[in-house]
Amino acid sequence: VTTPPLSLTVNGRSSSVDGVPADERLLDTLRWRLGLMGTKEGCRTGECGACTVLVDGESALSCLVLAHEADGASVVTIEGAEHDPIGRHVQAAFEEAGALQCGYCTPGFVMALTGLLKEHGGAASVDLLLRELGSNLCRCTGYRSIVQAVELARAGLP
Amino acid sequence: VTASIRPDAGVKLRGMATYGTDLSVPGMWWGALVLSPVAHGRIRSVDLSGARAVPGVVAIGANDVPGLVGGNGGDAERPPFPRETIVYRHQPIAAVAAPSLEAARRAAALVRVETEPLPVKTDLESIFPDWPGSGAGNSPHVAAHVRARRGDVDRILGEAETVVRETYRTAGVLQVPLEPHACLAEVTDGRWTVRTSTQSPFGLREDTATILGIPESSVVVDGTWVGGGFGGKNSALLEPYALLLAKAAGAPVRLALGYREEFLLSRSTLPSVVRMETGVSHGRIVARRVRLLLDVGSSLPGRDFATGYSIGFFLGPYVTPVFEVEGYAVRTNKPPFGPHRAPFVPQCAFVAESHLDEVARTIGVDPEAFRADHLWTEGARTHFGQAVGPFGLPAAVQAARTRAREWRAHLPPDHGVGIGAGFWSTMTGAGGEARVRLMPRELVVLQGEREIGSGSVLAGLSSVAERATGLPRERVRIDYADTSRAPFDSGVFGSRTVGALGRAVDEAVRALFAEVGRRMGTAGPVRLEVADDEIQAVAGTSRRAVRDLLTSEELAGDGLVAEGRHYGSTDAIDESVVLEGQFYPFRDFTGAAHVAEVSVDRATGTVRVERYAAFHDVGTVIDPATARAQVEGGVVMGLGAALTEEAIWADDGRLTNAGLLDYRIPTMGEVPPIEVTFIEGFAGAGPFGAKGLGEPPIVPVPATIAAAVRAATGAHLLELPLSAERVARALKVV
Repeated sequence: VTTPPLSLTVNGRSSSVDGVPADERLLDTLRWRLGLMGTKEGCRTGECGACTVLVDGESALSCLVLAHEADGASVVTIEGAEHDPIGRHVQAAFEEAGALQCGYCTPGFVMALTGLLKEHGGAASVDLLLRELGSNLCRCTGYRSIVQAVELARAGLP
Repeated sequence: VTASIRPDAGVKLRGMATYGTDLSVPGMWWGALVLSPVAHGRIRSVDLSGARAVPGVVAIGANDVPGLVGGNGGDAERPPFPRETIVYRHQPIAAVAAPSLEAARRAAALVRVETEPLPVKTDLESIFPDWPGSGAGNSPHVAAHVRARRGDVDRILGEAETVVRETYRTAGVLQVPLEPHACLAEVTDGRWTVRTSTQSPFGLREDTATILGIPESSVVVDGTWVGGGFGGKNSALLEPYALLLAKAAGAPVRLALGYREEFLLSRSTLPSVVRMETGVSHGRIVARRVRLLLDVGSSLPGRDFATGYSIGFFLGPYVTPVFEVEGYAVRTNKPPFGPHRAPFVPQCAFVAESHLDEVARTIGVDPEAFRADHLWTEGARTHFGQAVGPFGLPAAVQAARTRAREWRAHLPPDHGVGIGAGFWSTMTGAGGEARVRLMPRELVVLQGEREIGSGSVLAGLSSVAERATGLPRERVRIDYADTSRAPFDSGVFGSRTVGALGRAVDEAVRALFAEVGRRMGTAGPVRLEVADDEIQAVAGTSRRAVRDLLTSEELAGDGLVAEGRHYGSTDAIDESVVLEGQFYPFRDFTGAAHVAEVSVDRATGTVRVERYAAFHDVGTVIDPATARAQVEGGVVMGLGAALTEEAIWADDGRLTNAGLLDYRIPTMGEVPPIEVTFIEGFAGAGPFGAKGLGEPPIVPVPATIAAAVRAATGAHLLELPLSAERVARALKVV
């Protein structure tokens, strides 16, 4: 089965990718066709959150999105986070709080929080943010430092 | 001490860290394992012809191994693929590789295995229905037996005023790293190279060489960033298969587990049943007997490590004049038992603490006072006669009791506060080496471990070098090399990295300073400082730029190089203890006391942890931020083992909850505020008096939660985890 070329804008750069099968996940396109390995592969079933990216500004689990569903979309991955003012702000909050250990869940947390702050802006309460982030799993930190990073990121918003 | 910002924050926050799962090279092939559809069976045939018919595919099974590795064909006891008998469900029985993952998976599905069924054993107690009455004897299911005894237990128990007898059960728990196992192997010119996510490159090299029956010198292990280890990435899992496939394919092969497979192949803590007997007279423990059945899965006879070191932990850090502890390692049709952060010891501590509480209540005394009265003190000896040494646990327990009193002063209904304590050791007996290179502008520490996330390598070793030299963090670089170029180290396990490898770094700096002092013409102490962007050596009143102390060859090359090594020893076991079987004596003791406040929903049995406090004997805090992070992470991992984590195997050997929805690790919403306090001043054997901190934080957690649940509800639970179902059932009986 031939599929039409996939057109994506990833981290501000537009590209056209040929030969992407209809059942390929966005996660695999990003990692294996575009070489953006910063988006992490965890469970591949939407349970861990490690593969979170932004699709048209909203956070999405890239393991549950078919690449062709994102056709024409603008995707931001962890590699592009620092070029986004909110993304850079979130990275700084995680660094200041020391909110990472092995770092495997970190790109997912950073992108998920970035998406939430973009969506809700100053209207986001820490409680809301923590509730929304509740489906991102971390096995190392015990989450306390991540909670602190969320508080820092929220407090530092204009 | 400088800096609380993690040295690896930048690379990880930008998605630039390469983990095992991220490995790829041009021309790489993809591997896939063929997993056994049965848990126990004699192999009639493994037919690879279907897989081999797929164009471009290589498929290998047990018969292909000798041809691929040459020589004797590898470890006869532990071959990569079973030759005659499958011993656990999902055991790898063949492997395939192809230029695409899709082709590899298609080929793997075409492998046919025929077996003659053998009885599947997954439940400890059904193997020994009469235990502990009859003992486990010489059953073929016993992989190891250990017994340690001091004094006449039968007589003293017979004479005791009160004897309390209970039976406890604990569940299997899995490591569940976010990163599944993954590696990339290549075989060229007789060099078997594997890049992989590992806690122990050198241990893995030895393991791989043994399994494949090839010289260690021909194996090179190159570690990646590790996406969570927790013991699960200590030894070889995928690497021998990836190397065999690479050899067969004549191409680099990537082999990675899917997340479900990560659960299915996990070698971790398995279930146990423990019979406890404690005799008390005049308010003091006079004698105790412990009998343990520990499931070790398909561990080979003689290859069990868990029973021999864990058995002493059932007595807790409490003075016990007369005892007999006996453990049987029982083989079942599960993957082999493997290390999981303080392997099996949180479970031991749960049993030890809960049982002593019951003993105290039975004789009508306060459980926390009873435990505190029996606690080891500095100068005491362990059950097996080793010196406890400087020991901050009594101070930690005292602090915990104070906090518990404060929390109990204002307690809503259905809330309860409990205390748990536990001891652990720093495995400084496992050796390590490090090399330092002093350059005009930086000090480089070359060593063989990758950072697994705990911070012990990048922050821990750096902090040791900073303290030893006087340099700030930005002038110290922790460098890594693969096993062909780095100095040897045992691995990032056993809470040993700072304690043992850190000692090697400290020794290397001492050797470096001896040479610097010689060049400066002084035997006095040396330190390093930064001035005008250059490192300067200072000794007494003399000060020289490092640039001026180095020879021209050193300036052009590696700088001034010095090496350090640390190989600890183990203490002998006391002669008054009669031992049978293989024991692993611990040393460099540390301890922790924890306090939890929980609330319990009486209708559902759901336990919510409201707040938590951890008091840790740590000797000396080497890096404050990572130390605190270790405790928070360990506590929360322990909350999982205490409340929700339970690996459940069906009678046919299938792990029934192989996934994150069914095997419940803690999530952000259920984590309480955690207060962390370090008790310093009780020096350990590590550099600057440091003790290990990777594993101790998980040890007291299930015991603490059980004590709090009992305080909240009166329910005395004898089984881990304290799942909502078990708590609700217990509340109906209370």
